Amino acid sequence: MAAVQTSGEKALNRVAIVAVLVITLIFLAPIYWIVSTSFKPRNLSTTIPPTIVFTPEVSPFVKLFTKRSQLREPPTAEEYAAAPWWERMVFDGGEKVVRDGKGNVQWSAYPNRFMNSLIVAITSTVLAVSMGTITAYGFSRFRVKGEADMLFFILSTRMLPPVVVAIPMFLMYRAVGLNDTHWGLIILYTAFNLSFSVWLMKGFIDEIPKEYEEAALVDGYTRMEAFFKIVIPEAATGIAATAVFCFITAWNEYAFALIMTNRRAQTAPPFIPSQVGSGLPDWTVIAAGTFLFLLPVAIFTFLLRNHLLRGMSFGAIRK
Amino acid sequence: MTQIELRGVQKFFGAVQVIKDLNLRIEDNEFIVLLGQSGCGKTTTLRAIAGLETIDEGDILIDGQAVQHLKCSDRDIAMVFQSFSLYPHMTVYENIAFPLRATRMNRADTDSAVREVAKVLRITELLDRRPSALSGGDMQRVAIGRALVRRPKAMLMDEPIGALDAKLREEMRAEIKRLHIKQGSTTIYVTHDQIEAMSLADRIVIMHEGVLQQVGSPEEVYAHPANLFVAQFVGSPVMNIASATVAEEKGKAAVTVEGAPQGFAFPQQLLGSLNGSAGRKLSLGVRPEGLVVAHEAADGFLPAEAHIIEPLGSYDIVDLKFGEQMLRARTRSGFVAKPGDRVFARIDPAQAHFFDTESGQSLGVRL
Repeated sequence: MAAVQTSGEKALNRVAIVAVLVITLIFLAPIYWIVSTSFKPRNLSTTIPPTIVFTPEVSPFVKLFTKRSQLREPPTAEEYAAAPWWERMVFDGGEKVVRDGKGNVQWSAYPNRFMNSLIVAITSTVLAVSMGTITAYGFSRFRVKGEADMLFFILSTRMLPPVVVAIPMFLMYRAVGLNDTHWGLIILYTAFNLSFSVWLMKGFIDEIPKEYEEAALVDGYTRMEAFFKIVIPEAATGIAATAVFCFITAWNEYAFALIMTNRRAQTAPPFIPSQVGSGLPDWTVIAAGTFLFLLPVAIFTFLLRNHLLRGMSFGAIRK
Repeated sequence: MTQIELRGVQKFFGAVQVIKDLNLRIEDNEFIVLLGQSGCGKTTTLRAIAGLETIDEGDILIDGQAVQHLKCSDRDIAMVFQSFSLYPHMTVYENIAFPLRATRMNRADTDSAVREVAKVLRITELLDRRPSALSGGDMQRVAIGRALVRRPKAMLMDEPIGALDAKLREEMRAEIKRLHIKQGSTTIYVTHDQIEAMSLADRIVIMHEGVLQQVGSPEEVYAHPANLFVAQFVGSPVMNIASATVAEEKGKAAVTVEGAPQGFAFPQQLLGSLNGSAGRKLSLGVRPEGLVVAHEAADGFLPAEAHIIEPLGSYDIVDLKFGEQMLRARTRSGFVAKPGDRVFARIDPAQAHFFDTESGQSLGVRL
């Protein structure tokens, strides 16, 4: 910034700050909405005008994780007194927690769907990034016949909107028994992300001077060792950036998850809205599910933020 | 004890032949400098010895054993790159220890080897730093340390000080020489800088368009260039080359350069040495210091007119015009006062070189 600012520049600066604040508020508003709703009592979730000030409670999360049924009649005083604090919250909402014959609490499907999301997103990200990195290394370092055509072919797999192939994919998956399996989704998401991963990683690996590996080769290492000891650490920022993008894509994918899975391997995105359909929707539970669903991406991105920032400006600041 | 030998090495990049039938034998502990312009094949030759490039024909022998089919890691050779190639994610210590880790050397031995090399190179206090925190000279020291630590059979250096500034280059040149004298390993050094080559080499190998032009000690290539390319490539300022004819005149040999009204006097022995080439056109080469300049006319001196004078501190380079022919002479500082002055000059026969104009080869005349 210039050392001396004219009054015009100062005014412009202030306008810019206000504009940034407004844009930030616009982006944060839906997140606030989801987070606040997930801590509201059910009767405050749909008031008009919206309730801004309220006493937060965790009952939506209790409901999210447990199987519940409507209470035909209110619980007896003994039942209420014997129940743990979280179960009382369910009683307060006019519901009761479902227990099996031995009295064990029945969990809702959410934790299972959440785990499915984690398994599918993490595995497909690891596969897409590792395969993408090795492929990109090959293209970057060796003379490959028809390299430009092959790279274009890889890119071209992104040119078709994926949902166009949803029906044929569904039929194929059904034929080979891959529908409603973790591997089915993992293969699908890996395939989606691979082209992106190859292109992004090729850019990063091209930036790493090949003399580093040559030095390692002369120092007595094999090419594979040089790849793992030199290229991978050097490409860490690129790998982090690519992993974040792949993870977000796999984590948020909705259409294929909806079509290809229904129970065993269903991920959180199709599960959360499916709760809306039955009876009067409890928006606080849906908000709680959505809020928890947002956390992994936020945490993952936060942990890799330094790499990510460097990754974004890689070409500009290297050398 | 490491000898390296190249036998009939050929290398193509597509249709372009970058190394043409290269034969060279490098003795144990010898410091060899491959010298040439960019694109002459010197770096490719070095990389072929290291195993970073394959060769299309010929043999590369290390201690009598053909290694052209071996991977770099199996050749036991170290290399210093122009770009230093220090691994940015490792500290200086880890960089130097890296080649030892490849040999699975234990921790204690690795540590003592790294510290010993660091001491020799005076970089002990830098061991915990990252390469990005080092100056150019220190980076180069670390790169050399990484090459030395393994005690390889031979050291290859690809323009190792080319990226440094002039003052640091001079310092590092002296350091490399000191190290070589101390460690005494067979070294092949690539450069396009003839001063580096002259100051470091036991023998210089001059290459041009993939062809070896001359191999010899720095004195030899300077004093007796094998052809016109070497004559003009080695030495600064560049050797004067002029078309000339040699004839007998009053019992002496006279060498007349094209455009000059008179011939320079040479001993009659020249006619015998030329062995039949007398009378036809040759190329005369004479370095600026081979022209003896005087203020007064004397026997054998030809009149000339001074043109441009370049004062270089300890000496001047003066363009002298003999008729139509311009020759550059080296004189004492301020010897020729101003352009346009009339002076007298002769060629020192011992410093004159004669080349065949067509082939460019030296005629081997030594007077």
